[in-house]
Amino acid sequence: MNNVVIAGYARSPFTPAGKGELARVRPDDLAAQVVKALIDKCGVAPNAIEDLILGCAFPEGEQGLNLARLVVQLAELPISVAGMTVNRFCGSSMQAIHIAAGAIQMNAGEVFVCAGVESMSRVPMGGFNTLPHPGLYKKHPEAYMSMGETAENLARRYSIARRDQESFALVSQRKTQHARQNGDFADETVPILTHRGERIDQDGCPRPDSTAQDLADLKPAFLQENGSVTAATSSPLTDGAAAVLVCSETYADAHGLPKLARIKSIAVSACQPEIMGIGPVAATHKALQRAGLSLEDIDLVELNEAFAAQALAVLQELPIPTDKLNLDGGAIALGHPLGATGARITGKAASLLHRERKRYALATQCIGGGQGIATILEAVS
Amino acid sequence: MNIERAAVVGAGVMGTGIAAHIANAGIPVVLLDVVPENAMNRNQIAEQAIAKMLGTEPSPLMHPNNARLITPGNIEDDLGRLTEADWIVEAVLEDPDIKRNLYRQLDAACRPDALISSNTSTLPLKVLTLEQSESFKRRFMITHFFNPPRYMRLLELIAPPDIAPDLFDAVATFADLRLGKGCVACKDTPGFIANRIGTFWIQTALLEAIASNLTVEQCDSAMTLFGIPKTGVFGLLDLVGLDLMPHVLSGFKQSLPAKDRLRAIGAVPRLLTDMIENGYTGRKGLGGFYRLKPDAETKIKEAIDLQTGNYRVSEKFRIDGVSHSPEDLKNFLSGGEALNLYAWRVWSDTLSYAASLIPEIADDPLAIDTAMRLGYNWRYGPFELLDLLGADWFVERLQEKHQPIPYLLADRQRLYRTDKQGVLECKNEERRYRPVRRPDGMLSLCDIKRRTAPLIENASASLWDIGDDIACLEFHSKMNTLDPNSLSLTQQSIGVVRDNFEGMIIHNEAEHFSAGANLTLLAPALMRQDWDAVARIVELGQQTYQALKYAPFPVVGAPSGLALGGGCEILLHCDAVQAHAELYTGLVETGVGLVPGWGGCKELLRRWINLPNRPGGPMPAISQAFETIALAKTSKSALLAKELLYLSEHDGITMNKDRLLADAKARALAMIADYRPPEPYVYYLPGASARAALDIAVRNLTLSGKATAYDREIASQLAFVLSGGDTDSLDPLSEQDMLNLERQAFLHLVKQPGTAARLEHMLKTGKPLRN
Repeated sequence: MNNVVIAGYARSPFTPAGKGELARVRPDDLAAQVVKALIDKCGVAPNAIEDLILGCAFPEGEQGLNLARLVVQLAELPISVAGMTVNRFCGSSMQAIHIAAGAIQMNAGEVFVCAGVESMSRVPMGGFNTLPHPGLYKKHPEAYMSMGETAENLARRYSIARRDQESFALVSQRKTQHARQNGDFADETVPILTHRGERIDQDGCPRPDSTAQDLADLKPAFLQENGSVTAATSSPLTDGAAAVLVCSETYADAHGLPKLARIKSIAVSACQPEIMGIGPVAATHKALQRAGLSLEDIDLVELNEAFAAQALAVLQELPIPTDKLNLDGGAIALGHPLGATGARITGKAASLLHRERKRYALATQCIGGGQGIATILEAVS
Repeated sequence: MNIERAAVVGAGVMGTGIAAHIANAGIPVVLLDVVPENAMNRNQIAEQAIAKMLGTEPSPLMHPNNARLITPGNIEDDLGRLTEADWIVEAVLEDPDIKRNLYRQLDAACRPDALISSNTSTLPLKVLTLEQSESFKRRFMITHFFNPPRYMRLLELIAPPDIAPDLFDAVATFADLRLGKGCVACKDTPGFIANRIGTFWIQTALLEAIASNLTVEQCDSAMTLFGIPKTGVFGLLDLVGLDLMPHVLSGFKQSLPAKDRLRAIGAVPRLLTDMIENGYTGRKGLGGFYRLKPDAETKIKEAIDLQTGNYRVSEKFRIDGVSHSPEDLKNFLSGGEALNLYAWRVWSDTLSYAASLIPEIADDPLAIDTAMRLGYNWRYGPFELLDLLGADWFVERLQEKHQPIPYLLADRQRLYRTDKQGVLECKNEERRYRPVRRPDGMLSLCDIKRRTAPLIENASASLWDIGDDIACLEFHSKMNTLDPNSLSLTQQSIGVVRDNFEGMIIHNEAEHFSAGANLTLLAPALMRQDWDAVARIVELGQQTYQALKYAPFPVVGAPSGLALGGGCEILLHCDAVQAHAELYTGLVETGVGLVPGWGGCKELLRRWINLPNRPGGPMPAISQAFETIALAKTSKSALLAKELLYLSEHDGITMNKDRLLADAKARALAMIADYRPPEPYVYYLPGASARAALDIAVRNLTLSGKATAYDREIASQLAFVLSGGDTDSLDPLSEQDMLNLERQAFLHLVKQPGTAARLEHMLKTGKPLRN
């Protein structure tokens, strides 16, 4: 069977929706710049690319039509490169990687760009024209439940105290700040040019100066009565794009492309929508089983931090030591542009395997509506 | 000359407020101040003033974007910019030397044809122009604004005799048309008009209160009987700052002739001096005559004891059984209790003083009355109050009390009268009557009412012939609330206008266009649970407003002040609106637990659906209308009403309230020629799916504490209407279908205890209840 490798990873800076520096950049432009930068960086021959698979959680408005195909043209890729837009909400761009991996293994192409984008400034969460099914909403309101409320449900079900959520958030901020000071994002971040010619090259979401007291002073964001989840213990609404180059190992070897990691196994899973944040648990178990590994074998984990309460609930089920978890920080500090996050954490996990000289990495995330997705990577020795 | 660019020098409260209001007129304005010592940012003062203004409520700006028209700068680097300005307003410290030095700089920096004016409130023109060049004197005058400049309508103009007439006219016209000011030409006398009389009144009221052993609450209540704003005199002093009084009084002492009565009473009372020394300078300081009890957990209002200077809990004081009618007021002034005597002393002295100042400060009573109405927000100017009480009665009382009788009043004749043609006349210094001339472009319903009888009328509304085949429908109930009388007269008016006129204006000259439906009329039906009666009121409103919308002639709304609930809905049904710039309008029904039931939902939704460039799909328009109505959003200006779509893009805005009726009439006349009523609108709405979407949003707001459980109940009914009820996105809905949904939702809500509680609370306290 063909081995599949991650041959490159790039992302835009992540900036806060509405007020951040990327707010005025169209998501198609944003994705195109990241894709172009990735291809330049990896040195892959554009003509070899079979398909651009692009994840997006709210594919309408400026993210609408078949965004991926339009990004092909915006990124000035050969017109022969196909494009497909994928929606699995927050898991969209990790799903893009899974689709590519499957295609490569059945000889349906050798080189794929797997990307994701979300401008939460320009297309609001929920989209412009939410029209829920009234019958389903009546029978299963949880199908449409807000993400914040699902985090509160987990906090309650797993008895996660507010101060523990705040400690987790502060650690995320601290890890991110350390990585920034260390220049650990320099390799992955590509500058974005706005239509006015401004160059955006810094992440805008981190709040390195937040103190425990600052966090303790905030009001609950989603539940007034006995709520514990605040703005500081939630990932912020974010604008950003990320992309990874996925190809067969044979192709990488033949063309001298870097091999950051090999894809060992993949999985998706589903759970009750009202506790969607627990999704990574089942997905991870499936992926581990398919890889023939146990959790202890995993050296590095990128667990998306949709909410501190959600991540802590997952950690109760999947005991992962702090020193293996989100080494350069997570979404609470960096931000969570829905469609882009899967590519970011998979690309990050692959890069970290390389940087830390470890063997196995897990990238996993929860998905609104009650799903989980996981990818296990293996270093290419 | 036209004023197309302006500058203000001095970025204090007044200067910044003036700059903001010039920006409200759509005119770019440069705002300069000095460079602070060792400043890194040389424009710091002006920049900070603009930033501070953006957070001030009530806002000096009619739209936050107007701040972009104000360019900050400093007088060391930016005098060169003044060459672009047609009008330069000086609003620096009240120091003659500083001002005169600045004028020399301005005279050199500004174009020779630009007008320079001072906003001084205390310094006479002759002091300001001392040793200035002759050419400067031809282009300099005083333009005295009142604080806050956006909201206070008075502008006192004091010009030297040799001012260039075109410059004077340009500024006066600009102030009238673009700034909406009531301009009063004043003589160059200390304090001009409003502050001369205003200070006399304040000082008299203060001294007499201390002497009478009355409470501040009693005195303030007595003042409000006579049309003084509810702050009374002590609340006003707290607002403007107690420390202003010694400065003002000492200014008058230096500048007024020895025999002037303001000089005689001009000593600062000990109580005031002590309060100022201890930091009790009013609202800006530790407190004033009133304060909120410091360190108290809840708001406790306290008032000072005028004898001991100690604070005590403030007690509401109501003068029972005395209305604003002339008879009641006269009886009150004639009474023998301490408060009656107090009121007589304050008003007899103030009115006599005002009468004694003609012709010293003004040639006729009209200028003084206008100044006090527009500069101090008095309902009546002193001479209008005199006529209300009766000059004859007043003089007799003066005689009884052995008080001096001013020459102007000695003939015991009215100050104003109407001639045989119904033209208003005003008594001048020689006690001769002269017709009151309205400037071109001003049309007053008052004048029309003096000349003619209404075409039709009832207790709540009248229809007037305002000439040129245009009629004016006037509401005149309390706060112009709408009741079956106003609605039925509206329906009758449609018939009269259809048969005899070409167009109709809906306008009144009260402070507020309409506070909405009269809830007290709804109360008995609610008490009896007479739901049919409630349904009839809803249907009457719906039919009336639909009849207005489809009347075979143009209907132009001309509102000012509040236009809430049903008052907003009637405007939504007009063909066009010519609004006063100070329009505070909104569909506020959710505040009393209801939804708009007279077509407000239907019309606002249609406007959002038809808004060019709105995001596509069925939800954005519904969401916007939903949010606007659910949150009872009210515009803080006519400009902001356009953003909320309460006004349409094509509706006009008039800055000067006195010109509103004339502008509205011109608008109606322009619409007559090709007039055709609008085509009925057909709605396509998504029904239950949209309701589910809105409920998800409201549920999350409820969970996070931003909406109450009953808010959600009201919101679900509003969502029912705006989503089109039980419809499918492919099925057409008529306007009548939408009105039926409004009625259904209204009748559902009105039966709920939550709505009953909101209604009761509003009727009792005048404030909305969040249950």
